[in-house]
Amino acid sequence: MNAPILTYVIFLPLFGVPFILAMSQKGDSGKNMIRGIALAISIITFLASLRLYFGFDPSTPGFQFVEDHAWITSYGIRYHLGLDGLSFWLVLLTTFLTPLTILSTWKAIDNRVKEFQISMLVLETAMLGTFVALDLFLFYVFWEIMLIPMYLIIGVWGGERRIYAAIKFFLYTAVGSLLMLVCIIGLVYFHQQQTGEITFNLLSLYGTSVPKIYEILFFAAFALAFAIKVPMFPLHTWLPDAHVEAPTAGSVILAGILLKMGTYGFFRFAMPLFPAGSDYFAPLIITLSVIGIIYGALVAMVQPDIKKLVAYSSVSHLGYCMLGLYVLTRQGVEGSVLQMINHGISTGALFLLVGVVYERRHTRLIKEYGGIARIMPIYSTIFMIVTLSSIGLPTTNGFIGEFLILLGTFKVNKVAAVLAASGVILGAVYMLWMVQRVFFGEVTNPKNYNLPDLNLREIAYLAPLIVLIFWIGLYPNFFLKKMHVSVDHFISQVKIESPEQSSHVQQASCMELPGVTVALAKE
Amino acid sequence: MNDLNFSFDFFHLWQVIGGQLILIVAGLILILADIAMLKLDEDVRSRRLGWLTVIIFALTAAHMMSREWGLHNIVFMGIFSADKFSIFVSIVMVLSGLLAALMSIGYLQNNDVMKGEYYILMIYAVAGAIGLVQSVDLLMMFITLEVMSLAIYALAAFLKNNRFSQEGALKYFLLGSFGSAFFLFGVAVIYGVTGTINLTKIAQSIAGGLYTNPAILLAFAMLSVGLFFKMAMVPFHMWTPDVYEGSPSVITGFMATAVKAAAFGVFVKLLFVTFTPMLSQSGQPDFQNTINLAALGAYWKPVLWWLALLTMFFGNLIAVSQQNVKRMLAYSSIAHAGYMAVGIIAANGDGRMGVLFYLFSYTLMNLGAFGVIYLIDGKERNAQTLEDYRGLGYKYPALGFLMGLFLVAMAGLPPTAGFIAKFYVFAAAIKEGYFLLAALGVMTSVIGAYYYLRVIYMMYMKDEVRDVVRGPVAMPTVIALVITAIGVIYLGILPEQLANIANAAQQSLSMIF
Repeated sequence: MNAPILTYVIFLPLFGVPFILAMSQKGDSGKNMIRGIALAISIITFLASLRLYFGFDPSTPGFQFVEDHAWITSYGIRYHLGLDGLSFWLVLLTTFLTPLTILSTWKAIDNRVKEFQISMLVLETAMLGTFVALDLFLFYVFWEIMLIPMYLIIGVWGGERRIYAAIKFFLYTAVGSLLMLVCIIGLVYFHQQQTGEITFNLLSLYGTSVPKIYEILFFAAFALAFAIKVPMFPLHTWLPDAHVEAPTAGSVILAGILLKMGTYGFFRFAMPLFPAGSDYFAPLIITLSVIGIIYGALVAMVQPDIKKLVAYSSVSHLGYCMLGLYVLTRQGVEGSVLQMINHGISTGALFLLVGVVYERRHTRLIKEYGGIARIMPIYSTIFMIVTLSSIGLPTTNGFIGEFLILLGTFKVNKVAAVLAASGVILGAVYMLWMVQRVFFGEVTNPKNYNLPDLNLREIAYLAPLIVLIFWIGLYPNFFLKKMHVSVDHFISQVKIESPEQSSHVQQASCMELPGVTVALAKE
Repeated sequence: MNDLNFSFDFFHLWQVIGGQLILIVAGLILILADIAMLKLDEDVRSRRLGWLTVIIFALTAAHMMSREWGLHNIVFMGIFSADKFSIFVSIVMVLSGLLAALMSIGYLQNNDVMKGEYYILMIYAVAGAIGLVQSVDLLMMFITLEVMSLAIYALAAFLKNNRFSQEGALKYFLLGSFGSAFFLFGVAVIYGVTGTINLTKIAQSIAGGLYTNPAILLAFAMLSVGLFFKMAMVPFHMWTPDVYEGSPSVITGFMATAVKAAAFGVFVKLLFVTFTPMLSQSGQPDFQNTINLAALGAYWKPVLWWLALLTMFFGNLIAVSQQNVKRMLAYSSIAHAGYMAVGIIAANGDGRMGVLFYLFSYTLMNLGAFGVIYLIDGKERNAQTLEDYRGLGYKYPALGFLMGLFLVAMAGLPPTAGFIAKFYVFAAAIKEGYFLLAALGVMTSVIGAYYYLRVIYMMYMKDEVRDVVRGPVAMPTVIALVITAIGVIYLGILPEQLANIANAAQQSLSMIF
């Protein structure tokens, strides 16, 4: 535990950059070397992060693997890292998805391979840093560093309207995050006025009491930054553009991890820092989440483009995550965190799968396909499994997440639960309808007759995702048990100042929980 | 104030204004050296003069750091002060001169203008700028302001056969003269009302009750306007784009950093020594009344609030529509003046420290950017438009990366010095409760990010349409670019040391009194 394991995990990807820089990217062997180095580095990072798994103690709500060093002392800014049950799986998800993504780009990215792999590794460092930073300044630094590589990934290797999408992505995110920076500084000075200590340490700032009006304003600025990233309903318009134009790897990272930054920001920063502000906006956020669930599903239904359909389904799925967070019951929050992981796995897998046919046919339009289940049986099987997980069929991961969220929601807000549940039905409609048009029936397009099925490399990066889909679906407790304590702590932190929530609800939910998880585990 | 007793002591002189002396004498020697080397080839001569200039700047910086840093409150006949604040700003300007001289060696070769007076003018510009910042006497301020400005006007016009260079220089000269005239009027009015031109004596004089006197306010406004011209604050910025676009690229970078540093330095000094003195514990009897001057804040703060906001807003907004990269950076430099003004409005230690830090890091990133621009240009005005930057990131990976780095720094993204600098000034403003200004200010920097990133997407996301060939890369330019790049990243990750020095520097302002 003495080794600064979090620092190693964060900066290992950066360590690979000089090696890649030194390689020449002339010819296939050079490119393969670069890809190989990037893959090796990302796998080593994943293995290093497994060390976190074995060292993690799920029985304490506090932060673990803490590293705390002075950085800019005159402002009380510290290099402060730590991991708790809420960020634990997100870190592992990041280190897990990155190698798969790099593997998936082996063929798809053929020009400027060196620059691409460097961007991916820098991005991985920034994402990991964001999830473990416990100093608001440090968090902000990682959060912003993330923008540039993602901007380049979308803008350089993306589709036709890539520049538009890249700039839109950048500007949306920058507006939100800069306002957040102003409020971070404001919060720090309020804290200084009360305690005389100037610090950016998240844990010290948690208890700061800010005048109500500022609390609402600050929460609004934080929420804006994170809601853009999630993205929540009226702020989601950058997402379809970015997803559709980004290369497959970009979409996977974007959907799998970057969107989680938004929800993570809510439960790590916005909500516990400003419980009263959070309470003030809770009805609005719940409403927007429900609108997002239904709206995302409805818009997904009419998309002619598979990738865009998956992109809008993200809006819908992230709506569940936000809803689960905001009902503030244990099931809701746990379901929400789990749903973030699920979404990373299922939607990541869907984007990878879309990338597979796009590589072969260079089109993603549903009407170009039809009946390809006969031609690509393995591909179709995997696609079907992932689809079922995405729509939340029991035994897959999607079911657990959505079920927990709906269960948690039903206890406090029946209307929202009922409306959100209808989103599950709509989800089945758009996904299955798309699957029907793409995979079943006669082969309508002669261009599809000779599509090769998945090769070994493609199976290699899809198989781990399939395993996880069933793992979470069949034995969710393996994942949930790491977060129980942290989730309870989070709820107590956020709920303290909202006494109107009747206390028995919380008690009841706590008492019921073991039964629920056991039932789920037996399924 | 016994320094006013005339005592000519060379040691004293050397301690206080040694840096200026080195430059002035060295400038004279370089003129002779230029003549002595007449027999040599033009390019050899120019290169030697360039290296000599670099050495002179290095010596000046070394002298200032070793001898003058540590001193404070040493005033030479009530004209110049050697305090940490002046020294800090002077070192920023010498650094700017040093980097610009390094780059000029290559620039002059590429453009076939190998005239010795280029370096000599540069040395005198820096000497004037140092004098300006060290002055504690309004008249000396005016004289040194003119010394600096005249040298810069001549440098701006240095490309004799280039219409834009001539046009820019003439505009600069005319508008600069307006600015100087305002300044001089301000000096005259102050002298008329208070009977003194010494900064601290003015403060004592007006603190006794004159501080709401309209004449004093008018004089204060005029002095400020004169300096706002040099700082390129909206609405006194009109000369900036033409001058920056027309001047030789390296000189543009030099002007945007050294002159800005001088103007900001002297404005801060004027403001916080004379008109809103910092409260120090020096216990001098004359000091007691100056607390009254805090009331002046009610006059200048709202004005500067609006000017800063307008400067940030217009600078960034108009930069968006520019096609010429130099012109775009001209507007961006206006915007940066606005960010620095935010630090002044805060009127606290953090703010002043932020301004100093900002000046230092802006010098690095701006000169770096102009270094890359001149290299890509080949010959002046050969490849300066955004279209010319298409695909350059792959053609010249190192230059592309450096340009990207400097632009990202100017956009204020971590982990670069630009981010830390913006953080310091905005944090200082927020500390004083200027939430709205900070929020609007960071919003304008989103506009800024848009046009900085546009250069990056031209370099990396578009394919080349026209064959742009960069000029030969001279070794000194490489050295300068490496220094700036390392500085930008180093200050972005470990800003603490420089921040501490800047903090000590701003604290010394209270000791001039």
